[in-house]
Parts: sequence; structure tokens; C-alpha cells
Amino acid sequence: MSRAGRIARRGFLVGSVAIAGGVAFGAWRYTRPLPDPFAKGLSPGTDALNPYVLIDASGITLIAPRADKGQGARWIQAALIAEELDIDPAGARIEPGPVSKTYYNTALLQENLPIDPTDTGWLAQTLRAGSDVPARLLGLQITGGSSSVPDGFEKLRSAGAVARETLKQAAAMREGLSRADLRTGDGNVILPDGQRIPYTELAAEAASIVPVQDVVLRAPSQWRILGKPVQRADIVAKSTGTQRYGIDLAFDGMLYASVRAAPAGSSVAKVEAAAAKGMRGVHSIVPIRDGIAVVADNTWRAMQALQAITIDWAFPDLPGDQQAVWDGLTAALDTAQIDSRPREIGDVENALAAGAVIEAEYRVPFLAHAPLEPMNATVRITDSQCEIWTGTQIPDFVVAKVAALTGLGEDSIQVHNQMIGGSFGRRLELDFILQAVQIAQSVPGRPVKMIWSREEDFAHDQPRPAQIARGRGRVANGQIVALDLAIATPSVTASWFGRVWRALPGPDATITAGAGDQPLAIPNYRVTGHRADEVFPVSSWRSVGASGNGFLHGCFLDELFAAADLDPLQGMIDLCSHDVSRRVLNELREISGWTGRAAGQGRGRGVAFCLSFGVPCAQVVDVADTAKGMRITRAFAVADIGTVLDPVNAQAQLSGGMLFGLGHAMNCELTYRDHVPEQTNFHEYQAMRLHQAPEITVRLLENGPLRGLGEPGVPPAAPALANAIFAATGQRIRELPLSRKVRFV
Amino acid sequence: MIRAALVLLLLVHPAGAEVMSSVVAPPQEGSVIREDGLAAWDRVHAVVSHPRCANCHVGADNVPMWSGPEYPQTGPHGMNIDAGDSRIGAETLPCTTCHVTSSAPANGPNDAPAAMIDWQLAPVEMIWFGQSSAQICAQMSDPARNGGRDWIQLAEHLRDDAAHGGFVAWGFAPGGGRQPAPGDLQSHIDDVLKWGAAGQPCPG
Amino acid sequence: MELTVNRQRHQIDAEAGMPLLWVLRDILGLTGTKYGCGIAQCGACTVHIDGVAVRSCQIALADVGGEVTTIEGLGTPDAPHPVQQAWIDHQVAQCGYCQSGQIMSAAAMLALQGEPDDAQIDRIMSANLCRCATYPRIRAAIHDAARRLATG
Repeated sequence: MSRAGRIARRGFLVGSVAIAGGVAFGAWRYTRPLPDPFAKGLSPGTDALNPYVLIDASGITLIAPRADKGQGARWIQAALIAEELDIDPAGARIEPGPVSKTYYNTALLQENLPIDPTDTGWLAQTLRAGSDVPARLLGLQITGGSSSVPDGFEKLRSAGAVARETLKQAAAMREGLSRADLRTGDGNVILPDGQRIPYTELAAEAASIVPVQDVVLRAPSQWRILGKPVQRADIVAKSTGTQRYGIDLAFDGMLYASVRAAPAGSSVAKVEAAAAKGMRGVHSIVPIRDGIAVVADNTWRAMQALQAITIDWAFPDLPGDQQAVWDGLTAALDTAQIDSRPREIGDVENALAAGAVIEAEYRVPFLAHAPLEPMNATVRITDSQCEIWTGTQIPDFVVAKVAALTGLGEDSIQVHNQMIGGSFGRRLELDFILQAVQIAQSVPGRPVKMIWSREEDFAHDQPRPAQIARGRGRVANGQIVALDLAIATPSVTASWFGRVWRALPGPDATITAGAGDQPLAIPNYRVTGHRADEVFPVSSWRSVGASGNGFLHGCFLDELFAAADLDPLQGMIDLCSHDVSRRVLNELREISGWTGRAAGQGRGRGVAFCLSFGVPCAQVVDVADTAKGMRITRAFAVADIGTVLDPVNAQAQLSGGMLFGLGHAMNCELTYRDHVPEQTNFHEYQAMRLHQAPEITVRLLENGPLRGLGEPGVPPAAPALANAIFAATGQRIRELPLSRKVRFV
Repeated sequence: MIRAALVLLLLVHPAGAEVMSSVVAPPQEGSVIREDGLAAWDRVHAVVSHPRCANCHVGADNVPMWSGPEYPQTGPHGMNIDAGDSRIGAETLPCTTCHVTSSAPANGPNDAPAAMIDWQLAPVEMIWFGQSSAQICAQMSDPARNGGRDWIQLAEHLRDDAAHGGFVAWGFAPGGGRQPAPGDLQSHIDDVLKWGAAGQPCPG
Repeated sequence: MELTVNRQRHQIDAEAGMPLLWVLRDILGLTGTKYGCGIAQCGACTVHIDGVAVRSCQIALADVGGEVTTIEGLGTPDAPHPVQQAWIDHQVAQCGYCQSGQIMSAAAMLALQGEPDDAQIDRIMSANLCRCATYPRIRAAIHDAARRLATG
């Protein structure tokens, strides 16, 4: 393959630059250089580079730019580099790296293009290939959409391979040998006589030569780390209390702060803070935009003082109750105006007119992210610089918004990304970081660590949106003849982009994701998205649009199978138009021993399938109606992610995603009253706990394209459970949480 | 006078259980007519059947309840809590893991309730949750099921528990925005005594 | 006030009502004990007081009547407690934020319970919330740790 051909295939080049006492390897693409994140640390005249590997006398540092919120991203990024670099990743430093537009995320943007995820045709592939252009324009260093693995798979391994071959070249030149005669292992170049030269010794020489470009990435059969059950680098720290999260940071002279902010759309009308001023440890009471902060000498004193402050909010002259949300969704369904219609096969109206129509209305509630680490950020700001220590999925947007807020240049703002104690999409928001910056501005030069109370977290989540959907269908001669699903929801994408950047025009694929893109060959099949006005701001919640749509679509499909007297699993297999998905369904039948919905008196089995983020995932849930309530007794999940790079973690992601979906489906909703959620803490938002968690049998297949697995385990869980309850009791529950109608153990 | 002081105390310290003083001044036995005794019982029943009291006066499954206006629906205590036959969680998770024993319990919003004595379920024979007024009345009148107490000793038990910052005091001043049991400690003691002096009449 | 944490004595100058959690985190710098909810709903702040599991967000400094052990005092990366070793071997943690509390609750239980069955584990560990839902591995790790502790 020619060099040009290789570049076109990869879409990027790997290069190197000299750094003080060593060398950095990384990738860039296109002719115009992207901003160089290490520019200040590099010698003058060096080219722009997006570094993934830094080697100097002190050791090897791997840069893992995608944020780790528990999905293991930091580790898998390091493993991808280390696989080709021939080092033990556990012995390297793994760092998130600075914010840079060069770390843009191509895979995430591909996912949001209006392309059917199963479409591998020429046009779809061309559109996907072109998607890196807007990604580069946006400069998105985003973690999300299960995109870290597909995005890094080639870039990171290539960086490792080029670094390895260049280090070999440096050794060959030093020893007067040919690079082909050298091997590498465990961070050394190995000479033919067995002598080992550590990479760290070769770093300076490697920096002075042209990087070796003609590398061939190793085949999976040669992998040492990838695909093997290895111990993730953070496991020991996370089992011994030694893992530092953003909330654990401490600096000399650091102050502590906490915040109470106005409900969304509201502002501060009146503040009575006299009682708080004299409280022990209180440093200052700081008005911020639409809120009040207390700065103190520890967190508890700040929170206590906040409780002693009386604040009256000025509410907007808008509806602030849950009913306004349902009314808005119903109105959106009633209007002829549609946001998108990604699925339109056959003639649905005619097919429905030909006989009895099955109709159903489904509802899903708002859901909070509520990761267990409360939102926090530590900030130190001076006249010329702002440093931010926090866990974020969108460091670029942090820099841009903080620049706008402070008037500092983007070069003067540094984000030190921290290990994150859960996100589920919450760390895609900027609100808490911008508050911390405002607080730090009141004490220039001193670091301030701001921590939200859990109550503040519930009051200020931008939740997964509520939805209403209407299904119409017809069955005849034991077949589903027509399925028509209309979904109303506000646009998560518009809401979020409006907050963190600026509104984007056009239809929002997330409104129908998980319903309008399913590989089912129903002869008359239509899915329509209606965009409702947002009453309260909404955001991405693990698996985004598919989290609710998987339920609506998966349950209504089950209703039609039941009406047609079809077995739902066999029915899906028969309708499935996507080979990779069909193999997932077949595997699920195998491992679950599926013979039908029936499972004896008071017992039932439910099945559901959802293709989301390019991953087909199918699940079976078994329930038993016991004297103590409904119990989930077993669960089974199968997904196809193309290549399993980290089997231990992939199984955990699939199991965890399914349990996350089940827990919220059973127990959780966020409801608004007078502009704020009624739920204030976990006692009113009981997600999955141990006694409700079934054993799960999971299976990962490798037939499709390489994909990530943080999200796709979630969508089939709720419908599989609701369908199982139908099988056990005959009761169709068309509303979440299911605990409104069913008592669980 | 004492009652007025108590009300003042409640106003000053609205949050959390505390030491509460009260007096037991029993009327002459038989000096209260049955009708007044039954009326007093109704007020006693309003207290003991209130969620602040009844949620932990549960049956042999040893599972405390979550009920009352603070909870969207009535059901067993979340988190699969089971206090065991010990009724203090000794075999499982001690109640005091979350409901700590405190010298100055002062509940913030949604804090786990705490008292100055170790948190626990009432003895199983003193089941109130889900019982009728007549059933609870029969239990409280029966020394075999009320800790071997006559009516004066029942009142003294309430006084002594509250004086130690126990659950009786907590029920009337639970803090954390929780709805307290109706009335106040002194009225409750007075009602128990009136009911006793009338011969512990039960409804039905 | 005097406080013994992980066998070390400390003189603490703080309000009697300050929850132990914040004494540990903000005064003593022992950040392995986590703040998650502040109301004893999540269990991330669990420590031992004289061997009994206690939610440190609920107990005031003045009410700590015994010796406190935190996750840092249970074991270390070089010498983990058998429960921690089981957590490592089963790779329980995802985000890991709740796991200090999970491990402290499990260690307190196993000190009393011998080899618990699934129903016992469900009764004792359901008061610890894991938002990542690592529960199947928590169960497996507890069974494993119980066997290790039983065989010494």
C-alpha cells in the first residue's frame, strides 16, 4: 500500500516532537495543523501534534484523553497504546492530558448522523467518513455515546506502533544495525545479542529522527493485553480507598464552598444571610449568577451556613408542574408538525384501515442521573490564569465557557480532568464548574473546592426527558401487518447544545433513537418523532434517546406479538433484517433456554431487543410474583460489540447497564412541582439495590463492527421486565416506573 | 405551666429528639367515666397509630415500615431492612448503623432519625402497625403483652423514656421536617391516665 | 476532642455536632470515606466504630464512643484486607465511588456472620447503594472473602 493510500485509510498521521529530555508521539490529520496541547512545553519550531505517548528519562506516560467515569475508558485507552508499544500499561503513568481540540471525537459525531446504524452501503460509509470534518470544526473532545473505543482503536494503536518502530530505528542507528533485526519487549528495544536498551534511554535520540510511518498494526491473534482478562489499572486503588476523585483533592490554603442555586429559569429575589455570617469557619457569602455560595474552612461548615440562609426565588411566569409536561407532550403528538420520520416502510395508513387496530399510549418519566460522587470542582484563578480540577466529559466546552465568563484567553485556562465517580451523562454539563469559577473569582489566588450537597444535585439535574408515545398496529393471519409509533419528547440535543455551546439546527436523531432505527422488516412500519417544547431543561442520560424509546418500542412490539399469538423472540428473529442482530437474538435464545413467555404459575419471561449506538443488544428477564412482591429471578443479556478488547470490563458494562435499566424501570421517576423536582435525595429515588438485583448471564459476540458498551445494555432492560410482568400477570403496564402498578420485593 | 414550658421548648428546638420532662399525676381510679375514658383512648390511639410510632411497632417479620405523609406510598422500610428476632438488627445490620445513638440528636432534612437511646423495634407483642384501635387497646391493657405494666406504669414508662431522650420524645419532636405525632407528651400521658382511671375501656 | 482513627490518636478542634465524615475528610484528610447523600441512604461513608459498621455522615464527633477504622485502616494496596483482596480479584469496581463503603459494610458483616448465604447478604448489603450496579460481583466477592476468612 502506498503511503498516500495508508493515510487515506487511517485518516491521520502519527508523528513525533522533541520534549525536554525526551520525545512525544501522537497523531494529527489534515494539512493545517491543529492546536498543539503541549505547545508551551515544546521547543520552538516544532510542529503541532496530538500526543498519546510521552517518553523521557523519568518514564513513560500514556495520554488517555477520554474521561473515565467508571466505564474503564482510561484503562482501555492505555491498553490500546501499550499493546503496540510493547510495555506493561500497569507500569506506565496514565494521564488525561490537557484540553486540546486535537483530541476530537469522530465516532460520537458519526453516531448522530442521520444514517441507519446497520447501513453499510456506499453512501452511508461515505457520510461516516466525512463526519470528521464537522467534528474537527467543532473540535469536540467529548466522552460519550459509547464512542471511546471505536474512536481510539486505530489512532491509539498506531501511536503506539509508530513510537515502537521509531525507538527501534533510534536503537538501530546507535548500534549500526538494521531495524528489522531488533525486537521490543516490556519497554525495551532488544538487540540480536539479547542486550536490552530501555525506551527511556532512547527517547532523546528518537526525537531527532523522522518517525517511522510504515507500521502494520498487529492482528488480534498477536495481542498480549487486548482481548485478555487483565486487571484494570484502577482496581487496586478503587478497592483500598486510595483512588483520588475530584472531590478528594486538597491543596495548601484551599477553601471549601457549597452552593444553593435557583431552580431552572428562576433567579434570586431576596437573601437573608445574617445568621450565616457569624457561623464558625465561614469565610464569606458569595452571590453567584442565580444563586448563593458560602465559602468556609471546610465542606460541612459551608453546607451548614447555607442552610442558615433564607433565599426567596423569583420564579418565571411559566408552568412549573409535572402536568404541564404531560400536556406539552400530548400537544406535540396532536400536531401535524413532525421533527423526523426515520422509518417509513409500506403504507401504514392503508394497512391500519384494513382491520381492527390495536392502540396503546406509553409514558416514561424524567430520570435523574444522580451519580454517587456529587458534582464538584476545584478552581484557582488569578489575573492571568485559571486552573480547574474536575471530572468532565467536555473539557473543550469548559475552556470556552470559562473564557467567556472570566475574560481570560483560552490558553490561560487549564482543565485537569479527574477520575469520575459515575456520570451517566451528568458530567456532560457545565453548571457546577461555572459556579466554582465564580466562587474562585471572589478569592483570587486561593484554590476553592466547591461540592454540591446531594439535595442540590437532585434540585439541579437536567434529567432524561419524559416522553409520551402512541402506538397503533394491526395483526392478521398470525403476522404483524403494521406498526405505527409516534413519539413526543423535547430535544435533548437542542437543550444541551444550547447550554454548553449554541443551538444546532435540524432534526434531532435522539428523539426516535432506539425506535426509528430498528432492523425489523415489518411490511408497514412507521416511526415519527414529534419535538415537544422543553418545560424543564433536559440532558443525555445513559443510552440517551434509546433509554425511553427502547421501552416504548419494545413493549408495543410485544403487544403486537401477543395479539398475533406469536412467540416474541421467534417473532423478532423472523422479522430481523440485520444478520448481526439476528445472531444476537439466536444466542439469547440459546443461553436463556427460551421456550416462550410462560414459566409456570405466577411466573413469566419477557424479552426485548434494541439496537443502540451501533450495538444490537437483546435481553430476557424472568419474574416471579411472590408473597413479598414481584421478584426478578434471573436475567440474560447478549450484545455484539465487534471486538471484545477488555472482556472483564465489557461483561461488567453489559451487566451494569442492564441492572441500571431495570432499577430505574422499577423504582425511579423525577416529578416537578413548583419548578423543582419533588425528589430530594436517594430516599425518594430508590434505584437498583442488591436485594432487587438478579444474577445476570451475559454473552458478548464479535460479528459486527467495533463498538463501545457503556450505553447499549440499558435500553432493552425496561421492556424485557415489563413484558415479563405481562407474561406473569396478564397486566400490560404502559408507564414507568413500574412500581406505580406493581409492588416489587 | 409545665405544658407551656414544653411548648416553648418545642418552638425553640424544633428539630430532633431531646430530653422531655413531664409529670405523671394519675386521677383517682374510677374517677373518670367510661365515655371520657373512651374519648381519651381515641386520642391515645391517634398517637400510637401515627407513623412516627407505628412504623417501628411491627409484627414478627421484624421489618419496620415506611408510611405517612413523608412517603409516596406505604411499604416496608427501603434497603431490604430486617431487624431480626433481636429487633435491633444484631443478626443483620444493626439499626444503629444508620440511626445512631446521640447525645444531642438534631436531625437535618431527611437524616436518619436518631435518639438518645439505641434505635430498635418495639417488642413483637406490642404490634401496632396495621392493627385496629380495639386490637391496640387490648394489647396495651394486657400486662402479658405490655411489659407487665398497669395503667400508671404505662404513663411512667412514657415519662421515663422521654426523660432519657428516647422514642416517645422523638415521636413528638422528630425533626427533619417530619410530621410529629399529634399533641404533645404531657397531653398524651394525661390521656393514658384518664383512660386508665376509667378502667382502660376499649372501643368495639 | 480526642478521636482515635486507624489506631492513631488525634486532638480535634471542631464542633461537637460535626459529622464524623467531615472530620475524617476535611480535617484528617482521610478521603477514602466518601460523601454520597449525607442522610444514610447510600452507605458510601461507612466506617467501623469498635468493629460495628456506622454511617459516618450520621454520627456527630461528640458521639463517637469508640475507635474508628476507615477503609485506609482496613488494609492497604500492599497489604489488602481479605475483603479488599476479593474485591480486587473479582474486579468489582466500576466508578468505584461506593466501594469503600461496600467493603467496610461487608467486612463488618463477615466479622460476625461466618459464611452468609445470598439472603443474608441481601439483608445486610442492600443499604449500600451502587449506582453502577456492580451487585453481582459484590455478591461473588463476599462469598469468596467469607471462604478466605473461614480458612484463615
